[in-house]
Amino acid sequence: MTTSRVAAPDAAARRTRGTPLSERTFLAFLLLPGIVLLCAIVLYPLIRSLISAFFDENLLYPGMTFVGLQNIIGVLTTEFGPLLTQTLIFTVGATVAPFVIGLALALVLNQTFRGQRFLRGAFLIPWLIPGVVVSFLWMWIFDANYGVLNGILLSIGVIDSPIAWLFQTDTARVALIVAKTWNTFPWIMVMLLAALQTVPAELHEAAAMDGAGTVRRFFTVTWPHIRGVAGLVVLLEFIWNFQHFDTIFVLTGGGPAGTTNTFATEVYDTAFKGYDLGHAGALGILWMALLTILVVVYVWLSERGEKGARG
Amino acid sequence: MTTITATPITVLAEEAPPPGARRRRRRVRWGTWITLAVISLFGFAPVYWLLATSLTPSDQVFAFPPTLFPKEVTFSHYATVFGNEAIFVYFRNSVIVSVITAVLSVIVSMYMGYAFSKYRFAGRKSLMYFVLSSQMFPQALLLVTLYLVFAQFGLLNTYLALILSFTTFTLPLCVWMLKGFFDALPDDLIEAARIDGAGPWRIFHSIVLPLAAPGLVAAGLFAFVRGWNDFIFALTLAGPDRQTLPPGLVNTFISEASTSWPALMAASLVVSVPVCIAFILLQRFLVGGITAGAVKG
Repeated sequence: MTTSRVAAPDAAARRTRGTPLSERTFLAFLLLPGIVLLCAIVLYPLIRSLISAFFDENLLYPGMTFVGLQNIIGVLTTEFGPLLTQTLIFTVGATVAPFVIGLALALVLNQTFRGQRFLRGAFLIPWLIPGVVVSFLWMWIFDANYGVLNGILLSIGVIDSPIAWLFQTDTARVALIVAKTWNTFPWIMVMLLAALQTVPAELHEAAAMDGAGTVRRFFTVTWPHIRGVAGLVVLLEFIWNFQHFDTIFVLTGGGPAGTTNTFATEVYDTAFKGYDLGHAGALGILWMALLTILVVVYVWLSERGEKGARG
Repeated sequence: MTTITATPITVLAEEAPPPGARRRRRRVRWGTWITLAVISLFGFAPVYWLLATSLTPSDQVFAFPPTLFPKEVTFSHYATVFGNEAIFVYFRNSVIVSVITAVLSVIVSMYMGYAFSKYRFAGRKSLMYFVLSSQMFPQALLLVTLYLVFAQFGLLNTYLALILSFTTFTLPLCVWMLKGFFDALPDDLIEAARIDGAGPWRIFHSIVLPLAAPGLVAAGLFAFVRGWNDFIFALTLAGPDRQTLPPGLVNTFISEASTSWPALMAASLVVSVPVCIAFILLQRFLVGGITAGAVKG
């Protein structure tokens, strides 16, 4: 299991202090390309767009005027609340649903039965399909006029008339979560299956001998072993969904009437349709603040996990 | 490296079954099959529908209610896709951009990953966490400024703009994947080479790299797939001549008035195939690497 692999002990690894000059030059050579590239294409753009938050900057006219906190206060008093709610609805839904499905599937596929190996591979398909194709596919399934979902529901009599799934507030939200869930659950299944391999079979046998039922054994034997990985997977999924763009942009474009708009689609629209960089930067700074909290928790948890693995 | 192997945990208590074990075991089996059936339906029905739609004649696709099993099978939608010259341009662009992105990401991240794995230096931890967390910066936010920067340097609508911007989300995971591979290489090996008088440059290029080849291929493949799948960066930073397949498909098949669903589904399958092949070839490394990149601190 990967989590338990321990980093090379410090003593064995080369320390820079007291090492010959050639080693130091070599180390600089190793690190520089990566650092330069990351600063140019990640750090600089990020800082630059956050700086925009304090300026009145618009792509339609040149120059930028310092406006202080005006943009940020503007965003906080208007759209921040609804955007946060909508982002959270999507994020929570698109994290919890695939986790439940992924966990159930991992538990099932961790058992031995004929075809289990094949299924482990086949279930990866929804995850392998490019995100934009996932969006096309679900757009077609949810299509109001010719969609297969309406077709099936109508023919078995669940609904009387076709539903425009992507054009009604509640159904559009659910539709987005369903599409994203379909795309994500295999990854969670893979991660949890890897964690399940670390559960010693003897523990299960012993617990079964003692008369513990399936549910009991899950909570006393299985869960403690996979809890760490499960927690990180959920957090990582949460962080990714919190900034997810593709599915929402293609399936609903933030509609109907902006009710599925999240930080990602709103920042995109503000910058590329409204050309208002100051406003987009203000949204970005608040969005980044929330993400930073999540990332700090993630780093802290994985740090703790590594320490735990080291013993 | 994580390899997924079967662990039989349901074959329990062969001798001396506790009271009620048989009944319980049957219940487990039923629960298992029902869960598997429901998830299979959710997981595979859309894939079936993708395939079925792409093979159904247009007049039947737009019949309502839809026919779950096409009465006749046609390959005309695939002919439409391959007969469209724009698709070939998008395909070519996708290949060029994804391959160069993969090569660039691997070269840069193998050096960085090696430094993280085998050297201890001041600021190592901070730098590692910066790399790790840079995959969590929102793309939509980076995109706005990348657009401005590329515009400033006249790079919009070039391959270079796409390659550089794709590297933002391939590099972090590649570095972590490769660090994992280098971690697995014994330090003694490097020590022995050093005692034999090999310099650090030589040790890395003639001893370490060949051993890490599977890791390099896996990381490259991962970067290729991410580049191949990207939508938002290509949509925004590439003009019509440099557009890759994902946004290209939207331009070609989706319009306000009508969407050619069967052709779009056929094109979607065509786009998905390279990714699936790439994955099947190196499944073992990829799953392990991604697992490591996500979970290992």
